[in-house]
Amino acid sequence: MAARARWVLIGVGLLAAMGAARADDVTLYAPRPFGYVIGDTITLSADVALDPSLKIDPASLPQPRPVDYWLDLKAVRLTDRGTREGARRYRLDLVYQTFYAPLEPKRLVIPALALAAVSDDRRVELAIPPWSFVMSPLREIAGGSGEAMTPRPDIMPRPIATRRALMLSFIGLALAALGAALIGWQRGWWPFHRRRDRPFLRAARSVRAAVGLSPPDYDTALLALHRAFDATAGERVFAEDLDAFLAAHPGFEPARHDIARLFTASRDVFFAAEAGAAQQELPAERLAELAARLRAIERMAA
Amino acid sequence: MGLVREMDTLLSDWRGRALRFESEIARAVLGQERIIRLLTIATFARGHVLLEGDVGVGKTTLLRAMARAIGGAFERIEGTIDLMPTDLIYHAHLGEDGKPRIEAGPLLKQGEDLSVFFFNEINRARPQVHSLLLRLMAERSVTAFNRDFHFPHVQVFADRNRVEREETFELPAAARDRFLMEVQVAMPTDPQVRRQLVFDPRFHDVDTLVMSVESGVLDPDALETVARAIQLGVSASPTLEAYVLSLWAAIRDPSDYGIEVAGVDMERLVLGGASPRGMSYLIRAARVRAWLAERSMVVPEDVRAVFHEVMAHRIFVDPAYEIDRERIVAALISGLFARVAAP
Repeated sequence: MAARARWVLIGVGLLAAMGAARADDVTLYAPRPFGYVIGDTITLSADVALDPSLKIDPASLPQPRPVDYWLDLKAVRLTDRGTREGARRYRLDLVYQTFYAPLEPKRLVIPALALAAVSDDRRVELAIPPWSFVMSPLREIAGGSGEAMTPRPDIMPRPIATRRALMLSFIGLALAALGAALIGWQRGWWPFHRRRDRPFLRAARSVRAAVGLSPPDYDTALLALHRAFDATAGERVFAEDLDAFLAAHPGFEPARHDIARLFTASRDVFFAAEAGAAQQELPAERLAELAARLRAIERMAA
Repeated sequence: MGLVREMDTLLSDWRGRALRFESEIARAVLGQERIIRLLTIATFARGHVLLEGDVGVGKTTLLRAMARAIGGAFERIEGTIDLMPTDLIYHAHLGEDGKPRIEAGPLLKQGEDLSVFFFNEINRARPQVHSLLLRLMAERSVTAFNRDFHFPHVQVFADRNRVEREETFELPAAARDRFLMEVQVAMPTDPQVRRQLVFDPRFHDVDTLVMSVESGVLDPDALETVARAIQLGVSASPTLEAYVLSLWAAIRDPSDYGIEVAGVDMERLVLGGASPRGMSYLIRAARVRAWLAERSMVVPEDVRAVFHEVMAHRIFVDPAYEIDRERIVAALISGLFARVAAP
């Protein structure tokens, strides 16, 4: 197995010669092999080239674990790089962390790893070769007569610039409030509930319904409009109050003539008992038109 | 048909005279068009009127001008604390020959033609006088010298100043109920009118001012007939009847109609009042207003226009609120018209 694996130790930055990769080939790319101290992480990368019919068996991959008392395997990443130049290629990254505390520079070995590749009918054993490196102590052991090593002072906390984040938060909050207000306005929630009360909208519906009956219910239609005027003014509006009403609600001014006719007709119906005269003054269909017009004015004013 | 035609002509003729009556009074009394209109309504409704207001706003001038424009016999008397009922009826003195003489007092002097009886400062007179007046107003008659005197055309105008409270007698509710209207006379608000009243010499001498009003625009003998014709000729529809009945109910139970007055417990505000007589006066006055506006039917505006003057003094409120009565009753009445639906 070791004979089939060709392993190369190459410094970082020297990985060009990949053309020679053959099928079922493992090439290990490793960092510098010296100058490590306790706690350092070492990332080994292995390029695996396999016969296209083979796939790495996921079950054979190593799990992150303590490998030795001084060595942890922290992470394993397998990247499928597809089929190229007649071989299926994988990249396997292995992250180790060393906790060995040497007294003097010492060579250590990360042991080999076994992998397996499988196809439908066969199974091929592969191996990531072992790799050795030199670890150094953090400080001298002998002749430590000088002053004791003291921990360096803590790094002063460095304030993080938050101005931009704050600005963004405020802008976001403002936008959210604006959005909530828009929704409230559209839905007629408090404090926009008054907007929702559109007396002429209701009146126009009632008038349409009343006029649509056969025969048209003229009195009900008139009453509906009266109630809408009352609700708009906040008090009862009589014919003689028309000027005051229009002064308070100038939006209705263009309809003055028709409103005056409405009040005349209403007087005929309710106080002179001359329904015929009223219908002549303002036929039921015109009443529906007037209601629609008043509703439109109300919507413009809202 | 002929009768109807005749009544229509009669009513429209008299409408012209009524409007001329108003304009004649308006020449003597500036800036009080609304008061003049109310007094005209009272005259054609054959109702007695109590005027109330500050000193010197022209109450007496107004009434003198009215009495002159109505025409007919006119008598006036000043209310004083020592005035007794008999002072209205007879006058006792010694004649030149030394013998006692009894002569007719202000009430009886003009006989049964008396058309306007004007009682100045009515609240200075004693309750005895008030009760005599009560009978005069209610029955248009008094008893004197063992017989009844009838005054079929009499209309009582009284005035009362509301500034002084000392040495005055509050009118009993029964007497107040007999007045068709209690009219508040305020100062004119128009600066132009105010300037004229102060600087125009025409307004300095009340006597000549009153004399400038054309006398006898209305014929007091015919007023009764016209008044009856107006009541017959102006109709009130069932809708209006229902409206007035709702108003009536709302005065009695304002809280049921959602009427609110600031700082007042509406449940206990109204003790009573708004008598059936008051309501019938209301409709009488409203009919006259409709007639003056050339309408043959009463509309809610007519009721509203006369409501305060006709009804305010008939609403009896809890004593706790009596002190602030004017404001509260005014607010109650405006709430009434803002809340009760018509039609």
